Amino acid sequence: MKKYTLKRILTSLFTLLAILLVLFILMQLMPGSPFNDEKLTPDMRAALYAKYGLDQPIYIQFFRYVGNMLRGDLGVSYNISKNTPISQLIQSRLPISIQVGGMAVTLGAIVGLVLGILAALKRDTVVDTIATIISVIGVSVPSYVFALALSYTFGFKFRWFPMLFSAKDIFGSSVLPSISLSMFTMASIARFTRSEMIEVLDSDYMLLAESKGISGPALIFRHALRNALIPIITVLAPLIVDLMTGSLVVEKIFAIPGVGSLLVTAIQSNDYNVVIGLSFIYSAMYIGIMLVVDLLYGIIDPRIRLAKGDD
Amino acid sequence: MAEKAIRLGGESTADAIVSAVDAMYTEHTFAEKDFALKHNEDEISVDTNFAAQNFWKEALIRFFNKKSAVLGLVLIVVIVLLAVFGPGMNSYTYSGQDLSQKNFAPRVPGIEQFGILDGSEKMSTTTGTKVTNAYQEKDKLDVYYWFGSDLYGRDIWTRTWEGARVSLIIAVAAAIIDMLIGMSYGLISGYFGGRVDMVMQRFLEVANGIPRLVIVTLLLLVLQPGMVTIIFALMLTEWVGMSRIARAEMLKLKDQEFVLASRTLGAGSFFIIFKEVLPNIIGPIITQVMFSIPTAIFTEAFLSFVGLGIPVPQCSLGSLISELYNSFTTHPYQIIPPIVVMSLLMLSFNLVADGLREALDPKMKSM
Amino acid sequence: MRFDRRISRRSFLAAAGVASAALALTACGGSSSSVAASSASGTASSAAGTAQGGTLNIMLETEVQSLDPQIATDGTSFEVIADYTDGLMQMDADGAAVPAIAETYDISEDGKTYTFHLREAKWSNGDAVTAADFVFGWQRAVDPANASEYSYMLSDIGQVVNAAEIIAGEKPVTDLGVTAVDDKTLEVQLNVPVSYFLSLMYFPTFYPVNEAFFNTCKDTFGTSPDTVLSNGAFKLTDYQPAATAFTLEKNPDYYDAAKVALDGLAYQVIKDSQQALMSYQTGALDMTLLNGEQVDQVKDDPEFTSVGAGYLWYISPNIDGVPELANENLRKAITFALDRDAITGDVLKDGSAPCYTAVPPQFATGPDGSDFSADQTKFAEFCAYDADKAKEYYEQAKSELGKDSFTFNMVVDADDAPQKVAQVVKEQLETTLAGFTLNLTVEPKKQRVQDLQDGNFEIGLTRWGPDYADPMTYLGMWVTGNSNNYGLWSDADYDAIIDECTTGDLCTDPEGRWAALYEAEQIVLEQAVIFPLYGQCNAEMVSSAVTGVDFHPVALNRVYKNATKSE
Repeated sequence: MKKYTLKRILTSLFTLLAILLVLFILMQLMPGSPFNDEKLTPDMRAALYAKYGLDQPIYIQFFRYVGNMLRGDLGVSYNISKNTPISQLIQSRLPISIQVGGMAVTLGAIVGLVLGILAALKRDTVVDTIATIISVIGVSVPSYVFALALSYTFGFKFRWFPMLFSAKDIFGSSVLPSISLSMFTMASIARFTRSEMIEVLDSDYMLLAESKGISGPALIFRHALRNALIPIITVLAPLIVDLMTGSLVVEKIFAIPGVGSLLVTAIQSNDYNVVIGLSFIYSAMYIGIMLVVDLLYGIIDPRIRLAKGDD
Repeated sequence: MAEKAIRLGGESTADAIVSAVDAMYTEHTFAEKDFALKHNEDEISVDTNFAAQNFWKEALIRFFNKKSAVLGLVLIVVIVLLAVFGPGMNSYTYSGQDLSQKNFAPRVPGIEQFGILDGSEKMSTTTGTKVTNAYQEKDKLDVYYWFGSDLYGRDIWTRTWEGARVSLIIAVAAAIIDMLIGMSYGLISGYFGGRVDMVMQRFLEVANGIPRLVIVTLLLLVLQPGMVTIIFALMLTEWVGMSRIARAEMLKLKDQEFVLASRTLGAGSFFIIFKEVLPNIIGPIITQVMFSIPTAIFTEAFLSFVGLGIPVPQCSLGSLISELYNSFTTHPYQIIPPIVVMSLLMLSFNLVADGLREALDPKMKSM
Repeated sequence: MRFDRRISRRSFLAAAGVASAALALTACGGSSSSVAASSASGTASSAAGTAQGGTLNIMLETEVQSLDPQIATDGTSFEVIADYTDGLMQMDADGAAVPAIAETYDISEDGKTYTFHLREAKWSNGDAVTAADFVFGWQRAVDPANASEYSYMLSDIGQVVNAAEIIAGEKPVTDLGVTAVDDKTLEVQLNVPVSYFLSLMYFPTFYPVNEAFFNTCKDTFGTSPDTVLSNGAFKLTDYQPAATAFTLEKNPDYYDAAKVALDGLAYQVIKDSQQALMSYQTGALDMTLLNGEQVDQVKDDPEFTSVGAGYLWYISPNIDGVPELANENLRKAITFALDRDAITGDVLKDGSAPCYTAVPPQFATGPDGSDFSADQTKFAEFCAYDADKAKEYYEQAKSELGKDSFTFNMVVDADDAPQKVAQVVKEQLETTLAGFTLNLTVEPKKQRVQDLQDGNFEIGLTRWGPDYADPMTYLGMWVTGNSNNYGLWSDADYDAIIDECTTGDLCTDPEGRWAALYEAEQIVLEQAVIFPLYGQCNAEMVSSAVTGVDFHPVALNRVYKNATKSE
């Protein structure tokens, strides 16, 4: 197990390096340039390219970037926030995305699990139907419509929560964005939990467990849920990363200074270092979580032999 | 009951064959003619047909016994029919503008006499709420927009169904391609395990580790925007979820007895993967396909939101919603039709998915 | 839609002493008068000493890109920098240049030497604002190591001695034609007389930077309240790069502090206009920008106003690259088929005004003091909507080209307004001209600009903001070989006129030059080199409690020095 873990961590690092290379190549393919405006003369553009080293061959840029990255320098922004170090942008914005995303994941996962379990246990009853409807609304109404509706109702009409994010009241002003963000997770988890739970509940070992006299919460949580969790975690993991790294839509509507909206602006304005920096953070989080999930598989379900290589 | 009968029937036939073979085995010397074909193709074909018919027939019965599934199916059929015929049901076209008839509220002949859908709307302005009826104000009493008209004076009814058509094509095409690619990838990776799995999973991590938005946007910027490009973009990014499910299921099943048995009997890897394991995981796969349909519609909607969706003035449900979003607080009636159609579509796909899943699951059948 | 309306206000106006803002407002719809009125009353009331305080809550559409005056290029950054920094000159309510840090100035007889006499003013760290601060700031602007995008303000437009050579790396920065004679005297040498030079001085590229302070910050300059110095009406109290909310408070050490009524400014970046309007309605904002759709909701509200944004939007056909578009009759057919009133009145609704000239109104003033393009009917016969004429030219084009149908692709920014305009244009052309198909390619703005510059397009929807207060800032674009002549159109007569007006005899004959420029403009419109569409305006809400905010279509979009807010 230890050997496997070590191996996984090493390969993850290589994967990250590969991703960084792919990102660099993608940036080269990107049409347009970070310095592009009706009024910029070709000379001025050349001067700007030279200033930021963008006139160098791509492999030099790549190795220079990796070298700088190892020293914690992710370069500077070209036009979103001129000459601001990317690390500074990430430091000030990522925690906010993580905080709002974290609230959304927690909310979505808990409500989703509860809805899913209830629906599975009370299959084909009113409870099931209600749970289905809630989760269907969650996946079928685009989050920006949902966010605006929430904001209009609870922010504008009733004035229960602030409509805009505010650094002075982070928790209160994160309520509406978190709810809007959590809808999709909640719905996905609820549906998936239901489907997995039904499968587990119908399986032979549940029959066995039941016939051994195990019942009630113990039966559901120790035996059923535990087995249903594997695929659920598989679904949840990428959602966590997606939420933690911010949502363009919700950040835009609630004026949250997170990293999601930053990435979109960066792509549209060809701010390469911001795109690479943010994408890389995303990748690192994603790969980290995947690593954890892989290792968790072994803990949740001993039947899965992770170190299959020496089988 | 029916299942038991079949199984009993099957067992007794097998018993009969075994005893017959035993009887023959004792003192027989093989002759040339023993190895001639028996020419019983008719019987064989009848056998397979019987078995197949039985499985699907039962699946069908189970499916139609589930009311919610039937409801979902009916909804899908209705929406598909409207998507096909809806745009032709009035004289408007999806792109035809009439700026003199912009922002007309819904008005339906007949129903308007009951005081609803009569073309009047209540608009909340910063200076108070006011009720207006554009049809009367502009003296267009012979004009009817069933779902209202948008800011260019285009008919929302026509555009909604046109959008539903585009969304359905994109979503179904993307979901099917996702399924084929993702499923094969996940199953193969999970089955072979070891080094193959390691390499395939790393590749997947690289592909998936890059934010979807970066890849999709880039693709759309490089390629000619349009429906095919969007399907291609969705295909490139959405197969990962499917492959994870397939792999997880494979990991659960690959050490089970029936796989072991099949392998002992000499079945090849691909036979085991696609003939033995696949039918057992069709439930989760279908659930996942039904998930990728909303995901596909959503991703398309998101791309519209970023300005990279289906090119204007063509529309999909997603692009309609993001386009009419700007009128959300001004003329809320405009955004309601595409949202309702989209939600109904999602609901029905989910209901049908549930029905199919329970109907097709071979494990459920055997119980 | 709501994306990347990161308006790069490169364009700025060198309106030498002309009341252009008032004109701009009038053109942007009837409701604008309220702002003009309130701005006037605001100035009056603050002058009378009845100023009222409070903090103004202002909505921004985009984040600040940079607080470094020599690096910033966008309108938002300029506005904020100007909140806390004064240059030699300042913009008054009408957009004219009035003395600020410079108390007085002398201009030599040949018009090539400007001497500014600085007043007693202090940076917020207590240091005096000296001529050396300006020298340092200007040198930063032309230093090739800084690669300031706006360095052309000093070279091409300002004509400061040696600026062009320094930018090209041929001379050291110390050779720049600006010297600190003593602490309070700044002398500027120009290559040629520049009539609008004073009005460049309120442009942030020309703002002072305190060298000693800058050297203590270096790379962190302009990234927090501690790394900027204020010599203006306000000072930064809370800010970090790309912040979505930040604040300024009144600067008590400002030389003109007695006239500043507000206690402070609170900026909030909101990218969703519906959220912004709701916030405005709850009272959380005093000023906000609207989306055209929301105008329906607010058009009866006295707080609704429309403010000029200084851009001409036009369509550029690729005359050189697309054989069909080289046909003049086809181009004329297109321009006559465009109903510009419908575009601005029915779809944009934000107050933008149709434009029938190649030089938009409200920035260039002639020798007789009148607006160059005030008369919008002058060339209307060449481009105003006329379906019959359009069809006539279309038939001619069809027979000349031997084709019955045409399909073109138009590149359009992925922003809200351009997409709306493009959809209407498509419909208008396809309805009026049978067999004409216009497909739309929507791209992020950066890519669209590049496609136009590379000639990689058939038809393009684009915009241009003026660089200086002369029609040449527009007409100069269509000479042979200009990088903004996207269609690569070329006409010897036209080139000759422009040449004559730039370096020829007409330079010294304002009236003759003016007439020649009209001739040039007529050629552009008559041959349908571009199809002008409209002059952009923005729809805004300004609370009735607020008075005295100066709106300018270019350079500094909003100035709060004279603003008041009653509770």
